[in-house]
Amino acid sequence: MINSLRELRAERGWSQGDLADALGVSRQSINALETGKFDPSLPLAFRIARLFGKGIEEIFDDGLGHVKKAAE
Amino acid sequence: MAQVTFREANKRYRRAFIPVMVIYAVVVFGGSYLLKQFETPPIWLSAIVALIMAAPIGGVLWLMWRLTRETDEYTRQQQMSAMAAGGLITAFISVMWGFLELYNVVPSMWTFLVGPIFFLSYGLVYRFVMKRSCEPGFEK
Repeated sequence: MINSLRELRAERGWSQGDLADALGVSRQSINALETGKFDPSLPLAFRIARLFGKGIEEIFDDGLGHVKKAAE
Repeated sequence: MAQVTFREANKRYRRAFIPVMVIYAVVVFGGSYLLKQFETPPIWLSAIVALIMAAPIGGVLWLMWRLTRETDEYTRQQQMSAMAAGGLITAFISVMWGFLELYNVVPSMWTFLVGPIFFLSYGLVYRFVMKRSCEPGFEK
């Protein structure tokens, strides 16, 4: 899954450690999320979205948005 | 599952791990010393000492389980993968050794080694998967 976590973090001038502390996870988790090696659970995705004040779909993209749009 | 942060989970693990290891060391040295006081220790005493020596290891396994439940979801996934890999490697080595033993190629394996083989293979796999997770982009 593609996500804009790195960009959002950079906008706020946060390090991976800062974001990890804010979310209560390890720095390795943040790196794995940013590099797309790991997809978060729904509760963690909500926590991330709330922290950045955005919707989950604004941060995470499963690449299937075009399928939904076509169905509509 | 308790809701604690990654840091708190690790702190809880370390806080409990050290006393358990101290108890283990005391029990191992104390138990060995006690049994050496007898020319032939009674079997019931040997059994009690052996079981008491094994108890802290059970404690460490429980602490590992608790840490796995309390840590963050990514670390949990990596730990579970490493534990599964450690278990599979241990099973494979045991079965392979069993066949070699069956045909008298090697002597009978000391059952006591199963634990260290598991911990060693789990530790190595965990180190490997966590190192991989830090590449690329991990901020030191």
